[in-house]
Amino acid sequence: MSEVIATGKEAPRFSLPDHLGRTITLEQFSGKRNVMLLFYPLDFTPT
Amino acid sequence: MEKLLARFRSAHTQVLGVSVDSVYSHANWAQSMGGVSFPLLSDFHPKGAMATAYGTYLADKGITDRATVIIDAGGIVRHASSVTPSGQRNIEELAALCESVDKQHGGGLKGFSIPPGIAAGATLYVKSHCGASRAAMLARHNLHLDTRLTVRNVTEDVAARGELQKIAGKDQAPCLVIDGNPIHESKVIIQHLVSAATDIPG
Repeated sequence: MSEVIATGKEAPRFSLPDHLGRTITLEQFSGKRNVMLLFYPLDFTPT
Repeated sequence: MEKLLARFRSAHTQVLGVSVDSVYSHANWAQSMGGVSFPLLSDFHPKGAMATAYGTYLADKGITDRATVIIDAGGIVRHASSVTPSGQRNIEELAALCESVDKQHGGGLKGFSIPPGIAAGATLYVKSHCGASRAAMLARHNLHLDTRLTVRNVTEDVAARGELQKIAGKDQAPCLVIDGNPIHESKVIIQHLVSAATDIPG
């Protein structure tokens, strides 16, 4: 079990490639959408 | 998860999957799950950097914990939990949490827009044993465009090859043809499909 980030704090920024060739950043949702991050161990396991 | 996306959309919530796998592994796995249109982020290089920042990286195992983090549109973490790598997430419960975050902190966010969709009659020409063709096919499936976008294989189908030569002046595949206009290069083709079928803000 990990020590998942505390609530009430600013979320760390990120910028990563996705499986459809996009670059996804946290900033692009700023003021537009809430974001739910689903961390999962490995592909070919359930999300 | 894909089935419940509408509920997250109405709570103005963008769903993002994150693991340390490569984008290629993601694309193949997504296809095997019946197609995943929400972004699967590749936290691959440097491995686990994003997960480490969120406290969800299990460095001893080299994998990410099965953890969920909900961030409001102002960039503040509103929920963070783990069900351990072998656990199972309760998606219904998470949907309710997103709705509550949206109600408390969303403050009148605009709804998701409806993507324009792909033009009727669009055709994707592919080759057998071609990585770029395969990438375009995976994107087609992950974006749920199987019924909207016709596929023709120019390796197996002589008529299709002739047709592509006539339209594009060469039989280079993959090639996406929309309204008689050929688009080459898998990267450009996939970009086109993504913008037709999804609505991630730029």
